Amino acid sequence: MTGAAIGEHEIAAFQALHKRVGDAVETALRGKREVVDLVLVAMFAGGHVLLEDVPGTGKTTLARAVAGALGGLSRRVQFTPDLLPSDVTGTSVYDPKSGQVGFRPGPVFANVVLADEINRAAAKTQSALLEVMEERTVTVDGVAHAVPDPFLVVATQNPIDLDGTYRLPEAQLDRFMLRTSIGYPELVHELDVLRPGSGAGRIGTVPTVTNPHQVAECARRLATLHVADPILRYITELGTATRADDRLRLGASTRGLRALVRCVQVYAASHGRHFAVPSDVQRLCGPVLAHRLVLTREAQLAGATTTEVLAEITARVEVPRPTPQ
Amino acid sequence: MTGLRAGWAAVLLAVAAFPLAGGWSGSVAWPLFAGAVVVAFGVVVLARRFRLTTGMTLVGSGAVGLLGGYFVARGAIAGGPLEVLRDSVPRLLTSARPAPPTPDLLMPGVLMVFLVALVVAVSVAGERRSLIGPPVGAVVLYTAGALVTAGRADARGLVAVAVVVLAAFGWVVVDRAESTRRVSLGPPGAVLAVLAAVALLAGVLPSRDAFEPRELVRPPVTDLAVSNPLPRLASWAAMADTELLRMRGPELPVRLVVLADYTGAAWQASSLYGPIGAVAPPDLPAGRRAREADVELVVGALDGNWLPTVGRPVSTSLGDVLVDPDSGSLMLPRGVGPGLSYDVRGVVDRPNDDDLAGAKVPTGDAIRRYLDLPGLPATLADYARQAVANTRTPYEQAVALEQVVRLDRHPDAEAPVGSSYARIEQFLFGPAGDAGAGKGTAEQFATAFAVLARAVGLPTRVVVGFQPVPEGPDGYRVIRGVDATAWPEVYFADWGWVPFDPVSGTDSGPSAASKREVLNRLASTTAQPTVPAKDGPPLVVPSQQAQPDAAQAKPRSRHWLLLFPALPLSALLVLACLRAVRRARLRRAGALGAWAWVLDVLLLAGRQPARHLTAPDIAALVPDPEPALRLAALADRAAFAPDTTGPDDSWRLARQVRAGIKRVVPWYRRLFWAVDPRPLRR
Repeated sequence: MTGAAIGEHEIAAFQALHKRVGDAVETALRGKREVVDLVLVAMFAGGHVLLEDVPGTGKTTLARAVAGALGGLSRRVQFTPDLLPSDVTGTSVYDPKSGQVGFRPGPVFANVVLADEINRAAAKTQSALLEVMEERTVTVDGVAHAVPDPFLVVATQNPIDLDGTYRLPEAQLDRFMLRTSIGYPELVHELDVLRPGSGAGRIGTVPTVTNPHQVAECARRLATLHVADPILRYITELGTATRADDRLRLGASTRGLRALVRCVQVYAASHGRHFAVPSDVQRLCGPVLAHRLVLTREAQLAGATTTEVLAEITARVEVPRPTPQ
Repeated sequence: MTGLRAGWAAVLLAVAAFPLAGGWSGSVAWPLFAGAVVVAFGVVVLARRFRLTTGMTLVGSGAVGLLGGYFVARGAIAGGPLEVLRDSVPRLLTSARPAPPTPDLLMPGVLMVFLVALVVAVSVAGERRSLIGPPVGAVVLYTAGALVTAGRADARGLVAVAVVVLAAFGWVVVDRAESTRRVSLGPPGAVLAVLAAVALLAGVLPSRDAFEPRELVRPPVTDLAVSNPLPRLASWAAMADTELLRMRGPELPVRLVVLADYTGAAWQASSLYGPIGAVAPPDLPAGRRAREADVELVVGALDGNWLPTVGRPVSTSLGDVLVDPDSGSLMLPRGVGPGLSYDVRGVVDRPNDDDLAGAKVPTGDAIRRYLDLPGLPATLADYARQAVANTRTPYEQAVALEQVVRLDRHPDAEAPVGSSYARIEQFLFGPAGDAGAGKGTAEQFATAFAVLARAVGLPTRVVVGFQPVPEGPDGYRVIRGVDATAWPEVYFADWGWVPFDPVSGTDSGPSAASKREVLNRLASTTAQPTVPAKDGPPLVVPSQQAQPDAAQAKPRSRHWLLLFPALPLSALLVLACLRAVRRARLRRAGALGAWAWVLDVLLLAGRQPARHLTAPDIAALVPDPEPALRLAALADRAAFAPDTTGPDDSWRLARQVRAGIKRVVPWYRRLFWAVDPRPLRR
């Protein structure tokens, strides 16, 4: 690995890889290329994704298809109110044969972890994910165990059925690089899914087109992609505007803005560019920042959403234009 | 440097240098200037071939040019290289106009053209290939020409129009040489507006008080001991058939010397002279209705230092002629002699009768010299007042005085000479039979008129010269001794010096019909002036000087009305130039400039995009989004990529986008796009 900024030839190779992975995932999840691309952005940026959608829209299919295309290990954890933290991270177990206490890894030790209905687990169990999502390690009995690289948590939650759920704390939401929703497919794609014999929704049909090592290497190289100062200033101005907005109790954190920069780097590379442009920021600031913002009580009562507020702020902040000085 | 672009720039400069060449007599200046342009472009081509930097090219070539200029002029100007180069321009400005085409006087012009062409060639040959450089260089050369020649070299503005047309050709055609797109109507429309503004401004703006660079340098003024030629009138009359000189040109009186200073005893000519074309303008402005006359003169038996001329001379083919700036009298220090042949261009005031009928005379210190009558006898003052009784205008006063002087008096070549008060009193009031009573040469007639006119406040002077003669079969007008004469001239505000003829009354100045009309009116109300008593009242200030300034106000000119369309047009001209400069600056900025230009076009089309829209978002909104999206991508790359991009086709795309936008904007809304100031505020 070199420290030099990523060049155009590497960008072309990544764009091809990104397209292959996207195509592979799309064999299982039809007509949702934008969502697939967003999940891949998070994966190559080293972040995690929160899919917020009603049941049956393909959240699990998406996570498993990504894992299939990646060729890595994937695990699924169904979060329930009685789920314990050790059920997620793993625990120490006595081995009668050897007479030793050994660590048995939990389902979190995988390249792609699907945390299904994460808001149904208690806060204690949810927080078990905090360390591993941020530090990429699990500490049990004072011993740190590293999770595989790359490590992608795809969590899902149902925003409609809130009975028996525990709202994710802001600290945990801030750990997710981006939040998105899949939504119902368009008519043509839904027909395709319903057609007998269709491969849509079948994880087994997803071809493996890369490997975890290649993805991890790409992620490291993409972190060097050029982001010009005007764009960094634009991102900062967006963050400052969220903190100054009267309708928001909590604006975008520095961690959130850094995540936006990382996502912008990957998104630009996925479009064949070795530099970021303001359009990348505008495309990603909603998915990356909206779930990190907290509305005031008055704004909530007024029916506002963080996505709407963020869209208004984006329409207010002047974008850097490519004009001569 | 493309051949087309370089050729266009060189031709533009050569054409713009044409008025500058008018600052030198003969036809050698312009070929030299054109050669300097060619050499400058050749130097730049060679420098690029040898991969010299722009700085090295400019400094090296400029130094060589300055050194060459020093070696050319060092023989004529004393001092080292710095002094020679420093003094070359003042020397040119204090030489005759047009200047003789000597190497030392041509040097500053050639050097200037070379240096300007050098800078323009570098700008054209550079990476950014400026389209503004050649027009700016042309404007510099044209302005220099206008200053050196006081605007005479291109009086009708033809070269100015040619320069504008050539510049427009370059902007419209050369700029699009790499593109196959048809020429849009925007730039030509702007050029037409500019042309109209230039033409109107040139016709309207007053040039009387135009900037004159020669005022910045003090010309060498020579104090010469000159003789008054009035006494010679009698000797010339005695050699009646002797050919003094011959003239080819229009039928005009030939002027030898103007006498403006009267001492009471005699007339005196000015003794301060400078090179023609270099001295200050006359103390009293020329008339508004004047025409130029070109004559060829060949000296015969005429001698002395006075050089015959016509009207107020502005140029002559002789290089060492000196001129009195106020009167226009020409002097040749080496003296005139038989066979001396030369050309003169003069300006002759030609007001018509209607102009003079209501004309006023100026007041103030400027005319004090022409009213000066030291120790004027009361007899003459009283006689003058009686003569102009019942007259209503200065013109009527002059006509009445002309009639009074001529009344019962006869020209006599044998009459005693002299211009003193005593001689004039004898001429006017002397009892019949006395020598000189009622008889005189043109000297006495002209002086009597001048004294009486000054006494009533009319600015007057006396001119010695030769009356107009008919053309001979060989095309020459042969002027003999018998044609020598003197006549008075009265200055009328706005109309200049108007000659009167107290000898015959009709040979010069206003028409006889006009004079008769005045005299007929005065005849019924005016008695003949009587000889006043010797102990008459003291001289009072003449009536014309006693009038308030309001009464002397100049007739109102309606030219100022033309300023109403001229001012907006000049504003449009300035805006068009500023927009052209902005476009040139954007062109140098590559893709970024092309995108900014597209934003300008969107602004003009009333589609200014919101501040939060990115370049691709804006591109998606234009009528023809495909080239706009490609251009937006290029602009984004130029602005935000870490590496600089090479040449691109961003301006071709920009023009496609502009064409697409223009298709959806009505023509009447596009009329003023070229001069719309809104893009300048972006």
